[in-house]
Order: sequence, then C-alpha cells, then structure tokens
Amino acid sequence: MKTLGRILIILIAFAIAMSITYMAVNANGSTSASGLSFQGGGEDFRSVGLRPESQDEGSSVSGIIFGLMKNIIIVAFVVAMVAFPKNLMQQRRRAVPVRTN
Amino acid sequence: MSETITKTKNQTKLKLVIDIAIFIAFLIAMDPRSSGIAVHEWLAVSALAAIFVHLLLSWDWIVQITRRLTSKMNSQTRINYILNWALFIDVTVVMLSGLMISQVVMPSLGISLPQNFTWRSLHDLSANLFLVLLGLHTALHWSWIADTFKRYIFQPLGSLFSTKSKKDITA
Repeated sequence: MKTLGRILIILIAFAIAMSITYMAVNANGSTSASGLSFQGGGEDFRSVGLRPESQDEGSSVSGIIFGLMKNIIIVAFVVAMVAFPKNLMQQRRRAVPVRTN
Repeated sequence: MSETITKTKNQTKLKLVIDIAIFIAFLIAMDPRSSGIAVHEWLAVSALAAIFVHLLLSWDWIVQITRRLTSKMNSQTRINYILNWALFIDVTVVMLSGLMISQVVMPSLGISLPQNFTWRSLHDLSANLFLVLLGLHTALHWSWIADTFKRYIFQPLGSLFSTKSKKDITA
C-alpha cells in the first residue's frame, strides 16, 4: 500500500512535468497541429526527411557497441572532470593538520 | 538488528543491479543511429519502469532531504538534490518529446501523432543535456558506486579466486 502511494506520487510528478512541457511547446505556437490523430493521419518524419535515423538500418552489434563506447567516453569525461577534483580536495582537507592549542 | 542489516544489504545489491541496467540501457538508447529506432524507443520506454524502481529505492533519501531543505544542510547534498530534480525533469522531457515523435511505440499502439519539428529539436536538446546530467549524477555518487562495486563485485570475485588458488596450492 505504501509502495502504491509512492508510485502514485511519482506518476503525479511525471504528469505535472509532462503537462507543463506540453503546454509550453503548444504555447510556443510552432505546432503544426494539436491533439492526437490516429494512424493514417499524416506523413511521418522519415518520409519528409526530418528524422535522419532510418528504421531500415536495423541494429547491428558493432553499431550498438560503437554507440555504447561513444556515450561511455562522454560520461567518463564528465565523471573525471567532477570526481577527481572532488577527491583531490577531500584528500587535501584530510592532509591539513589539525591545530591544537 | 541482523535482519535490518540483511535487508539494507539486499536493497543496496538491488539498487546496484538496477542502476547498472539503467545506465547500460540509456547508453545504448542514446545512440539511435547505431542501435536502430525500434531498440531506441522500446529500450527507453522500459528504462522508465527501471527509473520508477530506482526512485522507490531512494525514497527515504528523497523524503529526508525534502524535509530538511529549508534548514542547514551540506552544500554537496543540496547540489545533489537540485541535480536529481533537474535529471527527473529532463527525463520527463526526453520521454514526452520522444513519444511525440515516436515511429515505433506510438504507431504500434495505433496512434499516429502530427509531425512537429519543435518536439524533435526539444528531444535532441534534452537528450544531449541528459548525457551531461547522467555524468554529473554518476560523478556525485562516485564514492558510493566505487564502494558498492568493491564490496559486492570485486571482493566476492577476489575471494573466489583466492580460495581457488589456495585449493590449487594444497592440491
């Protein structure tokens, strides 16, 4: 019961954030059409060339590994930029001798 | 007492497994050109369920920090809390914009959404931001990650090999 309540709170938070985003995009006035239209209601991004990723390309193991490695390098770079200076600062703080009167 | 310790240990293990799964899933999903659009969309949708579990496992921390937010607090904890909210909002934007430009998930449900370039650019922008936020989130939890890896993965593996080598010596 407690977990269900927590899930509900997370869902509400998600719904609020999604509603704000949806309203912000719609208020932007750049929407071509609003609301849902069921299948057959228009061209998709691929046919008009707006979405470069092609579904026909499919997923290859080497492609997945390459993508994985590329993103790992980006994340590792950010981690190194933050974690190492942080650890260094902590070590320095520990190394400073405590003055006793 | 020992029951509580066992429960905490199991929760930490579960958290580690889920975090690794979310991390790998997002790293694969973040590159749709190489993984393919179907893998990209379905993996992201299923990662959402894992994020729910991740939030549920961190619930006590979230509640504790939210209550103490106005009082005096460690600056690192405050930064961590703000960053986590930014990550939550960014994930929501990534998911919503992704669903709005979906080519696989939404059509499979029989829903076709009108094309909108704003959603597309918002999806790109929030996804790039997500990668940076994920890096920062990982960096701020680096000591926990390193400790948990050492305790639950490296140490058991090390002890496994050391007992094996001891047996080899005695044999």
